[in-house]
Amino acid sequence: MGLANTNIESGSSTERTDGNIITTTIDKVVNWGRKNSLWPMPFGTACCAIEMMATLASKYDLSRFGSEAIRFSPRQSDLLIVSGRISIKMMPVLKRIYDQMPEPKWVISMGACASCGGVFDTYTLIQGVDQFLPVDVYIPGCPPRPEDLIDAVMQVQRQIHKGELPKGSEVAYNE
Amino acid sequence: MNEEKEEITEESQPLVLEKLREKFTDALLTDSDTSDDVFVVVNKESSYTLLEYLKTDLAYSFLVDVTAVDNSQLESELMQYDYARFMVVYQLYTFEGETSRVRVKVPVSEKDLKIQSVTELWKAANWLERETYDMFGIDFEGHPDLRRILMPDDFEGHPLRKDYPLRGRGERESFNFDKQNA
Repeated sequence: MGLANTNIESGSSTERTDGNIITTTIDKVVNWGRKNSLWPMPFGTACCAIEMMATLASKYDLSRFGSEAIRFSPRQSDLLIVSGRISIKMMPVLKRIYDQMPEPKWVISMGACASCGGVFDTYTLIQGVDQFLPVDVYIPGCPPRPEDLIDAVMQVQRQIHKGELPKGSEVAYNE
Repeated sequence: MNEEKEEITEESQPLVLEKLREKFTDALLTDSDTSDDVFVVVNKESSYTLLEYLKTDLAYSFLVDVTAVDNSQLESELMQYDYARFMVVYQLYTFEGETSRVRVKVPVSEKDLKIQSVTELWKAANWLERETYDMFGIDFEGHPDLRRILMPDDFEGHPLRKDYPLRGRGERESFNFDKQNA
């Protein structure tokens, strides 16, 4: 079995496949790899972070979806999970962390506080991180259950699978 | 069990109060031992010496908290203390003998928002006074580093004052990434 040598030599890959050769595009292969090895950068500032930890622990086990490699360095990750309330003072920190992440990068806004300020309708809190970050997936809930976070990660995977650009790069290209 | 506890507080707590009454007769505006904790209201001029006395002579070595209260919407309190808008509150605790707490309250008027810092007495007062300055705008004289501690450095106003709007004055909507604290 294996790759049919004659096909490679002749430069034709579709004449004889033997059931072992897949014709595809580079993008599809790369995206397939990307979606199954998302490296999340956790930005947990409140109780949502506890649910995020539960999601990563043995019971819910995010590694079943290829996203267990949590990195606390933004330079090694491509999925930012904002879980918790973001104050005006914290905002520049979060913005800098997002800027340090290499492209392509995705953002999940986890929970009511990150998405819209939640119950904290006060002078000190940003009413939704989408005011300064391009958010790809929002999770409702206060806090959301681990299943919700898994669903959000899978939604990001679906977006990658379909070849959609992350919100962030759309913004960058439009500018 | 409860009776025992009451006996202890009745015996030990008013002792502190008696000593304070004796030493600071003119400075005390109000005092009370009716609640579980003893509290005294002292005028600003004598507050530092009273706190120093509590620390050095009565062994109240632990400064639990420094904060303030904005009484601007509490007419009864305002009338009682010559319309001083703020009340700076010190919570003290002693580990010596029968442990107990004392609360020292100092009226501070809006015209003269100054009070002597107690950082010389307790190192813990440093951040606590910074927080009180940040939230209420009270100027602690003699503080080594009186900056904001919770709000961003470029924040305007003092958000725990009663006249500060809950939803802010537009700072939520008009942020600036150049002025970073990061």
